[in-house]
Amino acid sequence: MGDAFVYAEVSAEGPKPVALELLAHARGFGMPVAAVALGPGATDSARALGEHGAGTVYASDDPVFADHPDRPAAHVLAGLVADHAPDVVLFAQTYDSRDVAGRLQARTGSTLMANATAVSDPRHARAEIFGGTQVVEVELDGPSPTIVLLRPKSIAAERGGGDAEVVEVDADVPDDVRGARVVERHEEQASGPRLEDAKVVIAGGRGLGGPDAFALLDELAASIDGAAVGASRAAVDAGWVPYSYQIGQTGKTVKPEVYVAAGISGALQHAVGMKGARRIVAINKDPDAPILAMADLGVVGDLFQLVPAITEEIRRRRGS
Amino acid sequence: MLFWRRAGARLDVLRSARPAARTDDPAARTRRELADVFGQRKLFQKAVPGLMHAFIFWGFLVLLPTIFEAMLAAIDRDWTLPYLGHAAWFAFLQDLFATLVIVGVFTAFLIRKVQRPDRFRGSHMEEADLILLLILGIVSTLLLWNATRIALGIADHPTAAPVADALSSLFAGGTGTEVLERVFVWAHLLLVFGFLTYLPKSKHLHIITAAPNVYLAKNQPRGYLEPLRIDLASADADVHLGAAVATDLSRKEVLDLFSCTECGRCQEVCPAWNTGKALSPKLLIMDLRDQVAAEAPLIASAAGTVELQPLVPNAVEDQVVWDCVTCGACVRECPVDIEHVDTIVDLRRNLVMAESRFPREAEAMLRGVEQQENPWGQPASARTEWTSGLDGIRILEPGDPPPEYLFWVGCAGAFDERAKQTTRSIARLLAAAGVDFAILGARERCTGDPARRMGHEYLFQMLAEANVETLSGAGVTTIVASCAHCFNTLANEYPDYGGSYEVIHHTELLSRLQRDGLLPAKRPAGGMVTYHDACYLGRHNGRYDAPRDVLAGAVRATREMERNRERSFCCGAGGARMWMEEGGDARINDTRFAEAEATGADTVATACPYCFVMLDDAAKAAGSATRVADVATLLAESTLD
Repeated sequence: MGDAFVYAEVSAEGPKPVALELLAHARGFGMPVAAVALGPGATDSARALGEHGAGTVYASDDPVFADHPDRPAAHVLAGLVADHAPDVVLFAQTYDSRDVAGRLQARTGSTLMANATAVSDPRHARAEIFGGTQVVEVELDGPSPTIVLLRPKSIAAERGGGDAEVVEVDADVPDDVRGARVVERHEEQASGPRLEDAKVVIAGGRGLGGPDAFALLDELAASIDGAAVGASRAAVDAGWVPYSYQIGQTGKTVKPEVYVAAGISGALQHAVGMKGARRIVAINKDPDAPILAMADLGVVGDLFQLVPAITEEIRRRRGS
Repeated sequence: MLFWRRAGARLDVLRSARPAARTDDPAARTRRELADVFGQRKLFQKAVPGLMHAFIFWGFLVLLPTIFEAMLAAIDRDWTLPYLGHAAWFAFLQDLFATLVIVGVFTAFLIRKVQRPDRFRGSHMEEADLILLLILGIVSTLLLWNATRIALGIADHPTAAPVADALSSLFAGGTGTEVLERVFVWAHLLLVFGFLTYLPKSKHLHIITAAPNVYLAKNQPRGYLEPLRIDLASADADVHLGAAVATDLSRKEVLDLFSCTECGRCQEVCPAWNTGKALSPKLLIMDLRDQVAAEAPLIASAAGTVELQPLVPNAVEDQVVWDCVTCGACVRECPVDIEHVDTIVDLRRNLVMAESRFPREAEAMLRGVEQQENPWGQPASARTEWTSGLDGIRILEPGDPPPEYLFWVGCAGAFDERAKQTTRSIARLLAAAGVDFAILGARERCTGDPARRMGHEYLFQMLAEANVETLSGAGVTTIVASCAHCFNTLANEYPDYGGSYEVIHHTELLSRLQRDGLLPAKRPAGGMVTYHDACYLGRHNGRYDAPRDVLAGAVRATREMERNRERSFCCGAGGARMWMEEGGDARINDTRFAEAEATGADTVATACPYCFVMLDDAAKAAGSATRVADVATLLAESTLD
């Protein structure tokens, strides 16, 4: 019996969650599991990888893996595979891992199966087709190692390993193997969770009077962990915020822990998008606004005074 | 000969199309035929173009026998039609109408070349020019032929034809004229036959298709849509779920396509087109026609499966189909009774039921209608929340004796804050007038109108059948509806599902009560009020007066918008567009609200909750102080304490 390799995507923040899931898949084989972590943050990730089932972690922090996509990683991985002859190499079905897996397969000439949801042993995997209505059991023939790409979230990561032995890998990547070079990185402004997933939603409506007032809501959201900013249709139609902010009948439906509605009247078309919230807080200067009847806490007042005051108070209590 | 061959392909398409049941009430159909075709009634909706076309059309009818005269005379100069050929009055008529046709043709050129109305954008202008020139040629050669005959002294009644008589002085009367007489009669015939051969492939085919198309138009009020009667359990493998390809269209729909004259009167009034959307009813019909005509040889030749292209998106894009608010302004304008709305809904039916390809934001509405039986997904028990604080609203329970009037509240009237105001006003007015009425409460379901206009015919069918069971089971005979859409569906469409009730709109009942003195005005309500005609009450069902009568007896003053009654401009919510996002240059509701404000009125009165919400939203968006309120609320303010 050989061992199982897991290609673990890592970064300065640690191993990607999907890498830990792959380890859970591998542990089911009942054979020694080794993780291959290439790129900055690899050795720091070794601990977490070990805790999730890797007995050995082949690591290299060499920046070459970050500066040149897939080819250096595939090259080094191929070398490791040739040296240690694992039975199987598991990859995540992600853009980056796919590229590495494909290149590895070109070197090994073995069988590669993509888009699997489960793998019971190095030679048997499962996939779903036709929108998940059919399950296909696949037997993988050919030489070792088989290569299987698994969908993220197909299994839960499990703690329960011990310490991993960290083996420093020589990132000896010849120039002609480096390939493309990363010239620029652009990070999408990770402005917090998606509206649909946010635990707290702060929404603005016609009462805000213009796009500038949304800055007040942004501030409030920033002072709370896991908060996102939304809007009623009135604000979107007026062009103050994009359609992606729209909550309601023809927009998004949200079910946060707390929904704060500022300057929103609460007409039916909006209410259907947020009535599932656990707690509703409404701020409106019109005491007859329907939303006040829906709210757990309704405040009749001027949002331009209240919202900054709330933000200030939250910050004060958090001591920041 | 050539004509039949070329027309043959189009005839085959008609033959292969789905039959449409359009033969009921021949008397009504004949009356419409006489008014619209012979009387050119819809054409006169525009005075000058109407007169222009009437001259040409009537001329065409009167001059028909002259073709046979010419054919006979072409063989032998002395041959002519028996009786007609010798009648002085016919000679006069020929002369008169030939001249009127020429006047018509020149007027047409003036309109097209000098005035250049925007409704012709997208139409094939060169084709029209050619046809006009051919017509000009045909009547000119006729006049000239008659002139030469007079000059030669072989005309029976020269003075009966003043124009030809005057022209005859151009001709000396010798052998030259004899030759010219032959030339003109043959030229005349050649032009006529050339015209005939050109006909089938041009929009001028309407001279043949228009008459049957008018005859086959709907007898029902325009808001009525034909049912599909979907039976999923049936053994028939081919359940018709709307129009995907050309052969799915019904005979009336195909005839519609071949009757279009590209006049653009529909385009001119379309709310979508007027606010910068992709939809033009004219272009829609033209595009569908072009695809059907192109595929005609395929349809005609093959039996069984044929590789036809889907109509959407090949002929028309998806967005064009969804832009429609089903207001019917296009159908109202069309001189040849093309029913654009029916075709658009047929296309939607396929997109929704067979392909599941529709604006995603409408999903919530369809899901709500299906699961909670209302578009907003609200619990049925909340349907009676509006009654809180009002005494004596009878809720009809199973087994109760039926009321004189079943007050159908509708989903908007039950769940939407603004519409609830209208519902409460109506209930208070009816109670004050001592009317015996009851509501179904939680047993009321969506009538299915939004699902049906969206194209989800199956969902509509299920709701219609269930509602009819409830209504008929309760022994209901008369229904008063407060929503124009509910009104249209209950009155016109539920009979197809076994539910025939007397259905009136709340403004009609209130008007009656007002007339009978049961709701005396105590004070004038509101200031200057302008009334917005709801499409589904007005244009679709011809109800314009009752709301106006109610307002006349309740408010200080009223003023009409320019586009009122059957020319009313939609609020933008129809055709299930209430539940879709709007694109284009301007919003339909903003446009209509601006028109209302321009009258100087401080209040806009509505008779439908959709109109209320749309115009109120527009008022808020414009930051306007203008109030929007239902006719019933204004009456209540005038009448009640």
